[in-house]
Amino acid sequence: MTALAEKAGADAAVTTPRPARRRKTRHPYAVASALFLAPMVLVFAVFSWWPIIQSALLAFQRTNLVEAASWVGWQNFANLFADPLLVKAALNTLWFTVLALLFGFPVPVFLAVVMSELRKGGGLFRVLVYLPVAVPPVVAIMMWKFFYNSDYGLLNGLLGLIGLGPFPWLQDTAWAMPSLVLEATWAGAGGTVLIYIAALTSVPRELYEAAESDGASIWRRVWHITLPQLRGVLLLMLLLQVIGTFQIFTEPFVMTDGGPEDATVTVLLLIYRYAFVYGDYGLAGALSVLLAVVLGVLSAVYLRMTKAWSTT
Amino acid sequence: MNTNMARGAAGLLLLAAVAACGGQQDGTSGGKTEITVSGMPPSTQPESQKNFLAQVAEFEKANPTIKVKPTETQYDVKTFAARLAAGQLETVFRVPLTDPQAMIKRGQVADLTAEMKLLSKSDFDKRILAPSSTPDGKIYGLPTEAYAAGLVYNRDLFTKAGLDPDKPPATWDELRAAAKTISDKTGVPGFGMHATANTGGWMLTTMTYSYGGRMEKEEGGKFVPAFDDAPTKSALDLLKAMRWEDKSMGTQHLRNQDDLLRDFASGKVAMMMGAPNLYGSYVAKFNGKPEVYGQSTLPSGSGKGTLLGGTVAVVSPKATPEQRQAAVKWIDALYLRPKYDAALATQRAEKKKADGLVAAVPQLPFFAPAVSDPVMAAEKAASNVDWDHFTSYNEGVKAQEFISEPPVAGQELYAALDTVVQAVLTRQDADPAAEITKAVEKVKPILDRSQQ
Repeated sequence: MTALAEKAGADAAVTTPRPARRRKTRHPYAVASALFLAPMVLVFAVFSWWPIIQSALLAFQRTNLVEAASWVGWQNFANLFADPLLVKAALNTLWFTVLALLFGFPVPVFLAVVMSELRKGGGLFRVLVYLPVAVPPVVAIMMWKFFYNSDYGLLNGLLGLIGLGPFPWLQDTAWAMPSLVLEATWAGAGGTVLIYIAALTSVPRELYEAAESDGASIWRRVWHITLPQLRGVLLLMLLLQVIGTFQIFTEPFVMTDGGPEDATVTVLLLIYRYAFVYGDYGLAGALSVLLAVVLGVLSAVYLRMTKAWSTT
Repeated sequence: MNTNMARGAAGLLLLAAVAACGGQQDGTSGGKTEITVSGMPPSTQPESQKNFLAQVAEFEKANPTIKVKPTETQYDVKTFAARLAAGQLETVFRVPLTDPQAMIKRGQVADLTAEMKLLSKSDFDKRILAPSSTPDGKIYGLPTEAYAAGLVYNRDLFTKAGLDPDKPPATWDELRAAAKTISDKTGVPGFGMHATANTGGWMLTTMTYSYGGRMEKEEGGKFVPAFDDAPTKSALDLLKAMRWEDKSMGTQHLRNQDDLLRDFASGKVAMMMGAPNLYGSYVAKFNGKPEVYGQSTLPSGSGKGTLLGGTVAVVSPKATPEQRQAAVKWIDALYLRPKYDAALATQRAEKKKADGLVAAVPQLPFFAPAVSDPVMAAEKAASNVDWDHFTSYNEGVKAQEFISEPPVAGQELYAALDTVVQAVLTRQDADPAAEITKAVEKVKPILDRSQQ
């Protein structure tokens, strides 16, 4: 193998001397790294890229998974746009994203800043904040489903003690989505808080010391030092959160099944129903492609808009 | 060249992997026809598994040319497609009665019409075969359990509210009155309605049948929505009155069947729609008290109809003709014979009883009374379930009309109707007629799409 590689390098050296020197030195490593890389590439190819390509193809096919699929052109997309639930699901997903950004985005930042200011007990708080992440998502969601029960749930029971409620939580079209966001924020904040705390440790202490000696309040220190220093991480987390919230599925699937009155039907829940409840894989493929395109465009626009601002 | 090598290596490995996965299967093994069958009890239930394996051994002895490979897999709609595509689907598997029509339409189950002659007894009650047959007389599945949707009620709460637990409500008006009495006297919601995971639409369909209605009708060779009329509206009006006027349904409504059964088993709901097959989960999964469980027929509105439920054994569309024949013989031996052979019915029930399992819950007979009556008598004698608590069900079903699921896009229809049920139960100003109209608009394109 090495001899072969050297020969190839020598051949190349005759025609293009300068790049050949580079190739000659890289070659042995390249073969080894290709071999090391192969299992990983294979795993990605089989379990990620191949399914992605397949599902994109499915969007233009009709199949029962028994006989060969037939090509139907844009028919699946036509059927998709004829479904009145599509617009509802898209709006619901956007509503979830907006609510999750309003509540879910500032909460971890706030917690991280507060916890980094703590002189004692920081470790304990970090464990407490991270605990919900350690609970398996479905278990946490089932637990919250019990909390939210409007007949005998914990939340209405506790709020009743101080004369509040009973609230309908998941049983009302206006309440259902904010209730899902509350659970999602509780469940997801821990991981994000740890990332912010890690980022905060990289902020030079001298900046704070200088500000303190200038008599800056905590609020001014956070506003003028912490947030600007964190902006790269903040922007990345914002993008990840937007992508994540667009793919919201488990909460509505387990807690409300899209109800009441389709108030929590999200795009991913619709994809799931198309494929696994109605057996229309082409339609599910079409909506998946549409979602991927929207997310791709969104990410590109976002990165372009914030490019200048995010570089520190 | 480096990149090419990496690509080549990855490509070759990929090919090898795909080739390894896609082994040729012709359904034979050592000259025998091999079939895989799902539904073996898991190893966590060693006694049940032992019984199942004994039945496999007995079958193989009686049919020396057939080899049976059992798996612990249970049908799951979420994994069905992937397993079918990957060639991992068993030759024989069981599906709930909600699914066969859609599977038949998609060509995902085998046509068994030709193999029916292999059955020892084939004079089925036609109503039982209907959910797995097509109008042109082709048969795609055989029944393994059959139930008529009815009413499940808590006998204890009936007594506490001063009602007679041996006289469950026979009409929807009686049910409304009973629910209000129970709710007023015990504080427990008198009636719970399914509302999510398509069960709301499923049970609204059942109620519609009891009012003499249908969900779909054929018009010019095409199925169109048919629920835009009095029966469905009567059902919704009743739910609305119970929820908002009588306040006899509590405030928690986004429940599927399991959620509702859990609440019922813990005494938090007094009545729900359901068939006797719920009894097993009620006792084993949700620790419900057996003596409290009452089962009646579905209350009637202005008709005698009810929805037929249960499970049906179907065969993989990838099975060879020999495998299809072997599969039908297996279904006959395992699921049908105990329905026409009283001695075997007793033996099966006694075994289950000895293992501490629920044995012989009342079901609908598969065959004519001459065949089925002795079997039912044998099951009753060997059962560890109190059949007296099922009396009004067993008597009532005789006069009922069993109606199958809506023929086209049943699950999509149910999903659209879930929304209607949820609207009536969670929004006081919801107008049943307007909600029905909205649902019709939703269902029309779905039915069109399904009949393209």
